[in-house]
Amino acid sequence: METEASKLDGTAELDPLAVRLAEGDPQAPGSLVKRHYAELYRYAFSVLREERAAEDAVQDAFERAFSALGRYSEGRLRAMRLRPWMYRITLNVARNRLRQRREVPLEEISAVDSAGHDEQREGVMDALGALGKLPERQRVAVTLRYLQDLPYAEICSVTGWPEGTAKTLVRRGLMRLREIMAIEGTRGERR
Amino acid sequence: MNEPSVERPIVLLRKTAARIAPVRDTPVDEVLAGATDSFFAAESPLGTVYVAVGQEGVRYLDPADSEEEFARRYRRRFGRFVSPAQGDEVAGLAEKVAAALAGERVDVPLDLSRATPFQRRVLHVVKGIARGEVRPYVWVAREAGTPGASRAVGNVMANNPVPLLVPCHRVVRNDGSTGSYAFGSGEKVRLLRGEGVEPEEISGSPYVATPTTGIVCHATCRNARRIQPHNRRVFRSVRSAVEAGYRPCKVCRPVAAA
Repeated sequence: METEASKLDGTAELDPLAVRLAEGDPQAPGSLVKRHYAELYRYAFSVLREERAAEDAVQDAFERAFSALGRYSEGRLRAMRLRPWMYRITLNVARNRLRQRREVPLEEISAVDSAGHDEQREGVMDALGALGKLPERQRVAVTLRYLQDLPYAEICSVTGWPEGTAKTLVRRGLMRLREIMAIEGTRGERR
Repeated sequence: MNEPSVERPIVLLRKTAARIAPVRDTPVDEVLAGATDSFFAAESPLGTVYVAVGQEGVRYLDPADSEEEFARRYRRRFGRFVSPAQGDEVAGLAEKVAAALAGERVDVPLDLSRATPFQRRVLHVVKGIARGEVRPYVWVAREAGTPGASRAVGNVMANNPVPLLVPCHRVVRNDGSTGSYAFGSGEKVRLLRGEGVEPEEISGSPYVATPTTGIVCHATCRNARRIQPHNRRVFRSVRSAVEAGYRPCKVCRPVAAA
């Protein structure tokens, strides 16, 4: 997905939207939501695998984000790199919600959710199921790199990992994923 | 090293990414409603003002030069972003605000949750000062239950988050002179004139008594307005009126200690 945001990599350039937020443009909060909602939803969905839960998580992430940004000084706000920062909040919210949900078996949740039962949807759920079997850090690394299409510079900015670590985690995660797919004969791969 | 190909999982992930999309259009308004406070513009005797809305009602009113200026000030003061009010989310409130700013007697719900209990009491007292009347700081302090806190009342007025809706321009100095105003003392005089108060008449003689009843009032008390010109006795303080044999009005309750 090519968005304005995906060009904002780890360069020193200011994010024009951060500048607008700092300068009090009242349209800027709406622009931030529009710019990142879809990609953050995709991340939250990949973790929670349920539409309503993903929407709630993204809503929560934006509320936390605006509530924190609101208290920043104009100078700090202006220098914000909003995309990785939004990701970091969404990662935390999604992870916490997944933990809270552990009491409820996942099968039950996906059963409730699988009203639109088509092959494409099953493919998605299988792929996310396989992702969910990876160790936490590998899952995050692979998801950010290939589901979210973030460049390594941004993955590092989101997670705080050195670039070498991020690359290693992605590579190991992909290999592990390949093994899981081989064992399970993932449906998305069959045709 | 013989590394197995990871092409397949990558292809699968990219395909999966393309298939995950929000089930509906980005609910921008819904997200903003929870994450920011809404605001709207209104016309007032101070020109265009901007009004931000909190949980319980109007939280902030400011005659800023621009929306941007308003948004910056609001964020500095409340640590929250504003976004334009959507649809009829605040339509009822906006109507009330417009009517109140046009001089009608409408009760506008206020959100003073960020104020201290003392500030809330003071603002509540000042909210009750009727159009066409003024009261001194010492009176507001006493009515708020903290006699002697005139200076603290002055501070609350200077930081009034909702000017005009809480008419801090109707609070004058204890000697009846107009005193300062957040938007300039000239504006304060102009606002009071627009409400039928002549600041010059009150300055130096904020109290009026009449021998027909033996009562002393604030000069702008509705009862004082009915005193015939030849019966008007003006006083600089309630105490001097009391010493001359007058008793304080029970409607406007002038403060004798002043």
